[in-house]
Amino acid sequence: MSATDAPSTASADELQYVQYEGDKEELYLPAIRQLISKDLSEPYSIYVYRYFLYQWGNLCYMALDSDKALIGVIVCKLEPHRSGTHRGYIAMLAVRETHRGKGIATKLVSLAIEGMVAGDADEVVLETEVTNTASLKLYERLGFLRSKRLHRYYLNGNTAFRLVLYLKEGTATKRADDAMRAMEGDRVVGDTQMEEGRYDREQFA
Amino acid sequence: MAQDPLRANTTPSEDAAGIAHVDGSGSAKHVRHVERHAEAGLPMRQALKQQHKIAETQIHDITEKFRTAAGALAVGQLVKDEYFTLFESITAIEIMDPKMDSGFLQPGETVEESYDALAPLLPEEVIGIMDQLLSYEMAWHTGYPLSQTLFTSVYIDKLLYPESRVFEEAQFYRGFVPDDKRPGVLLEVLRAYCLALIKCCDFVIAKIVGRDYYEEEDFCTHTYNRVLFVQVPMDVFQRELNAAMERLVEEETDMDEVLRNALVTRLEFRLDMLTALDLECPIERLQKYWPTILKSLTLIDETHHLGEPVPDAFSTKIQRRLASTVPPRPIVELDFKDAFQKLRQLCDDCVEATRFAALPVDPLEYQSFLWSYASRTPAPLPYSRAYLSTILFHPNTLNTSMSVPLMDLRTLLLPASPILDQSNWTLSPPRDILMPKPPRLQLALLIDEFTERAGQNYIDLWTALGQNRCRLRRMLGHVILGWDQLCQDTAAVDEDLMRVVHDMGIEDEVFPFPLTTWVYHKKLWMMEKMVLLGFEQDIYFPDEFAGMYHFLSEISSGRRTILFRIQAHISDRIYALQDHRTTSKSTSTSPPPSNPQDQPATQQSQDLHDAHTYLTSLLHEATATTALAAALSTFYIITLYLRLLPYPIRPFSTELLRHELRMKPFLTLQPPEVQAFDESVKSLQPYGPYLEPDDKRVWRELGDKEGLLWRVVDERLKEAKEGLQGLKKGGAGVARAGGVQAEWEEEVKRGLKSCVALGVAVAGVKGVVGALAEVGRDGGGHGGKGLGEDLGIRLEIPGIGEGKRYSEGWVVGKVGKVDKGKGKGKGK
Ligand SMILES: CC(C)(COP(=O)(O)OP(=O)(O)OC[C@H]1O[C@@H](n2cnc3c(N)ncnc32)[C@H](O)[C@@H]1OP(=O)(O)O)[C@@H](O)C(=O)NCCC(=O)NCCS
Repeated sequence: MSATDAPSTASADELQYVQYEGDKEELYLPAIRQLISKDLSEPYSIYVYRYFLYQWGNLCYMALDSDKALIGVIVCKLEPHRSGTHRGYIAMLAVRETHRGKGIATKLVSLAIEGMVAGDADEVVLETEVTNTASLKLYERLGFLRSKRLHRYYLNGNTAFRLVLYLKEGTATKRADDAMRAMEGDRVVGDTQMEEGRYDREQFA
Repeated sequence: MAQDPLRANTTPSEDAAGIAHVDGSGSAKHVRHVERHAEAGLPMRQALKQQHKIAETQIHDITEKFRTAAGALAVGQLVKDEYFTLFESITAIEIMDPKMDSGFLQPGETVEESYDALAPLLPEEVIGIMDQLLSYEMAWHTGYPLSQTLFTSVYIDKLLYPESRVFEEAQFYRGFVPDDKRPGVLLEVLRAYCLALIKCCDFVIAKIVGRDYYEEEDFCTHTYNRVLFVQVPMDVFQRELNAAMERLVEEETDMDEVLRNALVTRLEFRLDMLTALDLECPIERLQKYWPTILKSLTLIDETHHLGEPVPDAFSTKIQRRLASTVPPRPIVELDFKDAFQKLRQLCDDCVEATRFAALPVDPLEYQSFLWSYASRTPAPLPYSRAYLSTILFHPNTLNTSMSVPLMDLRTLLLPASPILDQSNWTLSPPRDILMPKPPRLQLALLIDEFTERAGQNYIDLWTALGQNRCRLRRMLGHVILGWDQLCQDTAAVDEDLMRVVHDMGIEDEVFPFPLTTWVYHKKLWMMEKMVLLGFEQDIYFPDEFAGMYHFLSEISSGRRTILFRIQAHISDRIYALQDHRTTSKSTSTSPPPSNPQDQPATQQSQDLHDAHTYLTSLLHEATATTALAAALSTFYIITLYLRLLPYPIRPFSTELLRHELRMKPFLTLQPPEVQAFDESVKSLQPYGPYLEPDDKRVWRELGDKEGLLWRVVDERLKEAKEGLQGLKKGGAGVARAGGVQAEWEEEVKRGLKSCVALGVAVAGVKGVVGALAEVGRDGGGHGGKGLGEDLGIRLEIPGIGEGKRYSEGWVVGKVGKVDKGKGKGKGK
């Protein structure tokens, strides 16, 4: 599916979908923070946003209305993962409450996936709460499968599903090469629970 | 997504493998975690290193350099160095942000709480505080940190901080207090209760960190540098509790009897709790303590209403003084009712765990017990799981005359076998090392080599069975890979073994390649469990059911084939033994060459018969699994064609990619267990794609109740029922689940009920397929007219944990009628 023929209602179409630009931080970031933190029990520091936007601003898409007000946003990253794959990760996604259920998130995720495909990603992963029906439904319709259930993944004690979308054949059998393995120690901490580092340091991994 | 940003601020979790044994101190443990990370030079550590160096730091003025460098940047331009990781971004805080900066005070807010811990309390208030503490204690047990639970108590804080040099200093005050402020009896009662509660926490942490657990996911061991009386022995706390009880009775003579009893009950409960949690508690006495606690629970519950809450005795502000980088987070509120429920569950689960000590020495009984324990609902809390694994890994349990894997191997494959004859281990090697070793000694050495190699894999399986259910599924994936490697490593040992067997001329008495067969059988069993856990954890979509049950059926069927071969071999041996006996009676020749010397023939025959019965039970079980999985798979294939299940278009994915993702845990296994994609499509889509079947027979076949797929469902369902009935008839003991007979019987019953439910669903669908011939006339791509809800029915998939599935792993759809006219368009 290309970004243009995504199933969308009139309302989703009236919006403008734009890529984040690093030199417009002042313009965009406050609105992004505000939109995202609405759904968080604790705020992210500005450094979390910058961590993603500085390195992968091209994988951040925003839905703006005709007044340039932010309606929806998606924040991602794409980098080699210790498993040996080139892994895309959807870190944040939110649509303004008044505009939900109109396919806006679907469009944002589609754009991000296309961006990752263009960036030669093998797979896309994310975590979402097992009770977040809207989010599960939206990702699963696009092709994500649940790969794991993560007990008490969030600080509030809630359990998550890890969702995975393979983009290329042979992803499952990729192996980390030795150079990557040597980095493993750093990576594990570097990824923490924002990605699977936290709970996936399985005993036998 | 929507992660809580502060998660990473607490202790980084450790690999289970990295967890050392009990050191009796939660806090010391924590310090060690940090040090470990230090050595690795990880980010968090760098910060610590810098702190240490402060003393030697020299001061350089870099203002100019900084200005020059900064001048080269545009305003607002970001600079990031490569050491700035996601971890650091998450742990960073913004100063003066009220939600992040723990030092930030709202106007008029004070740093310290103003609650006076020496103010006299009413008995009702003491009860209220005690019960509130109990709620927080249980909230902690379910996984919340002490900082948001027990450590919000002003009383607990006073006792722990500043740390007392001698135990007597642990008071609600430090230093001198005027006589009129000295705590009275009721405060002493509360103090004794709190002290014992703190010691209970110490015991709990020590028990949990002594086993495999996952920080934060299961439990938070963080004590924020507070020392939970690690060094103070238990009797000190018992003395305090007893003294408090005495003073209550002797000095508070005016107090309402009911209130006093309520207080005494709570002190007694703490006393019992302390005894039960004691780490030194000898394994044979474990069973004694929990029932007493369970009794006092009822009394606490009945008197809870007497309590008067004292909300001011708890404060989030205390968190500011705890050694943590996390800003104060809200207190975790767990209702007393729910907390009490958890406490009862904790006790029940521990009682159940103590039954482990009474099991017969048999790893297969252990396995059944562990499986059943892991399946308890609600899931046992981390403490109870640690409690059970402490018993499991107790030297008493493991100190058996025969190694654990070997006992398992003997039961399945080598009953009464010359290979495992005790005397093999008594032979000594020839003096001359150039001389070949006696064959029996060679056998013993090979078996030793194998058991040494397999021991860890066996422990890994047990360890996995002790984890929370989500992790069990994921860990099984790793354990399976470990057993796969074991299987490959064992091949060489098996070959040597078979050569010796051949040289000794006892091939008839040995199942070929017994070691690899045993490993392989266990591996398949684990794979089946892992797939079933996937269903139980809601991992698969309805349109994946057909494929996953098909996969399950294939694995299980492979295991069944092995079991058949083993059983045939055992039968042969039984006949051979009988033959020999009849011939030897008539001809009186010498005993068979390999008959183990110290094993009379009757014992041998008994062992073989036992093995035969056990295999029969296993076969029933494998048959049931194979057949029920196949029946369900076929049923879901049918319902996919009938469009009774949602089948999303999934623009970014393909069937091939999803197949690869699903099969990922099993792709590397040897021999290969995963069907090639094309093959699996052939099995799963016999009439072509579900939405566009290109085989014209599809509607005729599905419309005919005797059509091929329907026949498969009916036959396999019948087989599954027979298997389960056979299994039930054999009983739990024969299945090596005698220790958990009730649970085992329940599980079999649930299997049978699932079969019945599938029968009902099949009938429901068959009832409406008559009209399919109509659909068929248009051929394939008719756009689904006459299918799905046009059939007048809907297939509902029962969710997990709602009690709507008879068995969580066997998902049987339920057929409901569609209210024509109204139902259309609703759902898919
Ligand atoms: C998740 C979220 C981004 C979805 O945004 P959206 O623009 O409404 O999503 P879309 O309209 O593209 O599609 C969502 C799908 O879920 C459905 N959906 C939306 N809200 C739902 C709800 N409350 N319950 C069930 N389904 C819901 C929609 O109907 C749609 O499915 P359908 O087309 O089959 O009907 C939005 O709800 C949100 O911002 N939530 C809070 C933040 C969050 O949870 N982020 C994701 C964390 S991983």
